[in-house]
Amino acid sequence: MMERLRKIASTRFTLVGMALLGVGAALSYDNPVGTPVWVLVVPLVLLAINLLSAILTNARINRRGGLLVFHLGLLGIIVLAAIGRMTHMEAHLEIIQGGGFSQDDLMDIRSGPWHAGQLDKVTFVQGPYTVDYAPGITRGLTHSHVMVPDGRGGWEEKVIGDDRPLIIDGYRFYTTFNKGFSTVLTWIPEHGGPVTGTINMPSYPMFEFKQSNTWTPPGGKEINFWLQLKTGLDDNAHWTLDARRAKGTLVINSNNRRIELQPGESAVLEGGVLRYERLASWMGYKLFYDPTLHWLFITAIFGILGMATHFWRKFSALPIHSTNGEKADWSSGAGDVPVNTSLQATAVANKGQSNV
Amino acid sequence: MFEMNGVYTELPWLYTGLAAYALATVVAIQGVIRVRGGSAGATVNRSYEHIVLGFALAGIALLAISIGERWLRIGHGPFVNLFELLMSQLFSLGLIYSLIYWRYPIVRPSAVVALPLMWILGIWVLTLDPAGSPFPPTYHNKWLWAHVGFGKIFLSFCLVGTAIAGVILLRGIKQVSSWFRHMPADAVLDALAWRFMLVAFIFHSLMLVAGAVWAQDAWGRYWAWDALETSSFLNWLLLGALLHARTTYRIPIRVGAIMICCIFIFAFLTYFGAPFYSQAAHKGVI
Repeated sequence: MMERLRKIASTRFTLVGMALLGVGAALSYDNPVGTPVWVLVVPLVLLAINLLSAILTNARINRRGGLLVFHLGLLGIIVLAAIGRMTHMEAHLEIIQGGGFSQDDLMDIRSGPWHAGQLDKVTFVQGPYTVDYAPGITRGLTHSHVMVPDGRGGWEEKVIGDDRPLIIDGYRFYTTFNKGFSTVLTWIPEHGGPVTGTINMPSYPMFEFKQSNTWTPPGGKEINFWLQLKTGLDDNAHWTLDARRAKGTLVINSNNRRIELQPGESAVLEGGVLRYERLASWMGYKLFYDPTLHWLFITAIFGILGMATHFWRKFSALPIHSTNGEKADWSSGAGDVPVNTSLQATAVANKGQSNV
Repeated sequence: MFEMNGVYTELPWLYTGLAAYALATVVAIQGVIRVRGGSAGATVNRSYEHIVLGFALAGIALLAISIGERWLRIGHGPFVNLFELLMSQLFSLGLIYSLIYWRYPIVRPSAVVALPLMWILGIWVLTLDPAGSPFPPTYHNKWLWAHVGFGKIFLSFCLVGTAIAGVILLRGIKQVSSWFRHMPADAVLDALAWRFMLVAFIFHSLMLVAGAVWAQDAWGRYWAWDALETSSFLNWLLLGALLHARTTYRIPIRVGAIMICCIFIFAFLTYFGAPFYSQAAHKGVI
């Protein structure tokens, strides 16, 4: 058994695994979703088996603390990354200002088969947000205000944005460049009760001139919406996107009729009455969940520290000598030293190729 | 060439810093040529090394001022466009190589390889537009500093190892082999070069970890196989594989030196080539 493990632990096997992993990485370049997962999984499994065998059988690894920690770290990273992919979840969502998070709103969901998070317990409410822009409409910092339960039955405000995600029960919500305006509308049908909802317009200011959308009310005909915005946007100056300071006129086109509505105004259309309640904003979030993140970091750092410790000890025992034993002393003045073409046999030289 | 008129206040400091590096290069080459004639046991004057270090330190100081000037002018550190990336890389490569140069006299003749290599960046930066670029919102993150810092240390140690490997290879050329006759035997240089590559490997690993943490904060994923991530991972894998290969096979010293040069070229292409084959160095950077 041990003999078989020793063969599997061969560094030749390691080199084959590394070469395969290199090919897998190159194939995954820029398109990890479209690349078959086995191009990475196969070499990683081979390397994990090789690593485990080496840790168990190779005395040059398992009797050297630092090197052992490094290789255990590598093995740990492979295992944790695998667990992470099996349990992870990624998605996108858009939340309107004043609206709460609902997992029903998630889009582009990708998750591992073992994902068993408690997304249904995640609660937060989107507040207002601001986005700073430099001249040339260059996006700066995002400040998104959200309300989260404070654990005492109340709400606590948090400001997130860019590299500061909202983290609830391991779920990370990142603001994105995708955000814009929406209109809160109430549809009062000729028969039945009123329904209030929102129509999100395309991302702003990216699609400044395409603020349009369509909706077909129940029992009615398709309505085309166009939002005329006044946000103070200036291409040549610093500007802050803040929906609280914006004004929007809603232009609706239904049955070849063009009607302009201000917030609070209504229009009688075929099948019912449409009321433009107010202008609102929406924020696009990226959702990410991976329960192994912290462990991955800790494992990687321990592994690197192990490697650093190993080489520190090794190099301390074999200090770098100068050609003639001189010290880096600049105070001696002339700097004349004898030529030494036949180097004194330092420990470094004697150790030969496998020294480092 | 560029709008001077006092706008790009960092340029005079950059030019004088590069001039100091150029002088260090010239003195280093002249120095090794001058001492080549010494026979075994004879005394050679290595005081030129003081001058090389002096010019290198002057270059580092001037580049530091240049980076500081630019920082004040555009309001952010040298993290965004290629011009400031090359500036800061010239500073960090010079700083760490000079530290090694000062601390370990054994490597000093390798300056004839290291300094001309740095000049690739020096000439390149002279061809670029020094205009500033907007600072992306995701760059306001402390892990960016760690990521970039570890990367610079990695490349610097890689440069030291490559310079020593370069000496091994130059010794194979009859016309210049005598320049390095007062340096240790190739076997010693080989071990020394790989020692610096091992230190580089540690900092490369730290760079990848710090980059992953930053990417998680910045773009909500710690790894996405974008151009820089893939290239730097392949670079790490290549270095790791070659380190394993050295323990597995008896690799001839010159082949080992070529392997080190390949790693440096790969790292160089990763750092400075990615912007040419990827629109955004890191996906979602803007």
